[in-house]
Amino acid sequence: MNISSCMKQNVVSIPATASIREAAALLVKKHVGLLPIVDQDDKPIGVVGLRDLLSLELPDFVRFIEDLDFVHDFGAVETTRPSAKTLDKSIKTLMKDAITVEEDCGLLRAYALMLQHNLHDILVVSKKGKLIGVASRVDIGASILSTWPKAEK
Amino acid sequence: MTAVPAILSTIIFFGSLVLIFTEKLHRSITAIAGAALMVGLGRFFGFYSEEAALEAVDFNTLGLLLGMMILVAMLEPTGFFQYLAVLAARSSKGKPMRLFILLGVITTVLSMFLDNVTTVVLIAPVTILICEIMGISSLPFLVSEALLSNTGGVATLVGDPPNVLIGSAAGLSFNDFLVYSMPIVLVAWAGALFLLRYLFRKELSKRPRGVKAIMRLNPAETLNEPRAARRILIVLGGAVLFFFLHNALRVSPSLVALSAAAVALVWVKPDIQEVLKRIEWSVLIFFGALFVMVGGLEGAGVMESIVGLLERASNIPPILFGVGLIWVVAVLSAIVDNVPITIALIPVIKGLGETGMNITPLWWALAFGAGFGGSGTIIGSTANIIVTTLSEKTRTPITSKLWNKRGLPVMLVTCAIASILYVIIYNWF
Repeated sequence: MNISSCMKQNVVSIPATASIREAAALLVKKHVGLLPIVDQDDKPIGVVGLRDLLSLELPDFVRFIEDLDFVHDFGAVETTRPSAKTLDKSIKTLMKDAITVEEDCGLLRAYALMLQHNLHDILVVSKKGKLIGVASRVDIGASILSTWPKAEK
Repeated sequence: MTAVPAILSTIIFFGSLVLIFTEKLHRSITAIAGAALMVGLGRFFGFYSEEAALEAVDFNTLGLLLGMMILVAMLEPTGFFQYLAVLAARSSKGKPMRLFILLGVITTVLSMFLDNVTTVVLIAPVTILICEIMGISSLPFLVSEALLSNTGGVATLVGDPPNVLIGSAAGLSFNDFLVYSMPIVLVAWAGALFLLRYLFRKELSKRPRGVKAIMRLNPAETLNEPRAARRILIVLGGAVLFFFLHNALRVSPSLVALSAAAVALVWVKPDIQEVLKRIEWSVLIFFGALFVMVGGLEGAGVMESIVGLLERASNIPPILFGVGLIWVVAVLSAIVDNVPITIALIPVIKGLGETGMNITPLWWALAFGAGFGGSGTIIGSTANIIVTTLSEKTRTPITSKLWNKRGLPVMLVTCAIASILYVIIYNWF
């Protein structure tokens, strides 16, 4: 079995000319966690995820504190929003490298890549490099589990 | 003195300084390479040997630094530093100006007894957290913490690596620093605090939004290992007590620090691998390798010729000479690491002493210049670099331009105060 059998084919993507604001709006509208950024030929040039967008809201300082349990109330952090100037910036400023697999990629190889790069979704491209689908951990994992032998009666 | 060894060793030393300054190569790598080159060429040209290189290493300095590093490495995971910062946040009742003073005082007191770098590494992240919760910019707090720890560190023998070096070379005790350095540093520190309060008056007058959240922080919860924290603090207190007495007991400060580390390790029994991971080995290696390099300069007779040059210039009145030294060292420390400068100047001052000059005041001038000079630029001290790097992750990153408007005035004011007091109390040195 390969990845093309379990991927979602209607991928929500965004052009590289979009702003951060537009990307965030699209994420909200489509209720997805990952947006591929594509060029004119529909080839993925990067991705932007929920985590990248939320890093504008919750800066990295949280990671410097070993143990956050003593903070019961985040106070002003909860209501601080990114400035309009930040939101008008190109989505390319937040873009990460796209990790892609080709459509005939095996399921376990795809799963291993996702674990290694800590991804929740992986992009699937055609032989010519065009974006043709996206598969989540659940899509791939459920597909693998479904092949396990059934109990004998 | 023959020319070739002198020229070679000078090229190695200043070449290393340039590499350290331009950050082309990590300072510890530069120092190891420079030290190996110095000993190798020294053997070949006959001006330096392995034995001489070993003798050039000041193990008293290394032992004192290692002992204090072990104690801090043990204290770090207990959450004690977070505890202090959260306590300050609560007592400030959400008033930025009060928080500014409280965090400034905590940072200063800690950096008097612990390494500046460690103090800032531990206090800065909690500071950012508290400021974010309050909804104010962390920038004035971070800049001030670095500047005040640079300033406060000069007060004691163990507060700053240059002091450790100077104390060991000049035979100055912990109490000598309390008597001669502390009073001057306190005045300079107060000057720095008032100046910073003034320079940051706009940022500090903003009304914070998250005062309620600050009051919900519970200091007791920040302590992960209260028992270990208490034990280490008791040992640290004991170490400070013995620092007071080390001269009377005729033991070196490094023996005090290493014994304290040993007692704490036996009492708390931490995971030693974890403790050793937190030790800044690169700093200790940097020091050791620098000692070897400067030993080569001495072996080649470079220091003697510098002393000779300075002797000719010693028609200058000694007070002026001392004040001049403060400023020259300060400017140098603002652009290059103050440790190589201090290590290089120690043999020069010792050489001046052999010509019959009263060098005790010069040791203090060196300490003030090396300590206060680091405030001048964004790369002047490791503490500055650390707060700058951390602030890049916040909404208000520290820029070099801003440092010139905040740090440089602090360097000028602290050096000026130190110079004036230096002149006034010169005869007591």
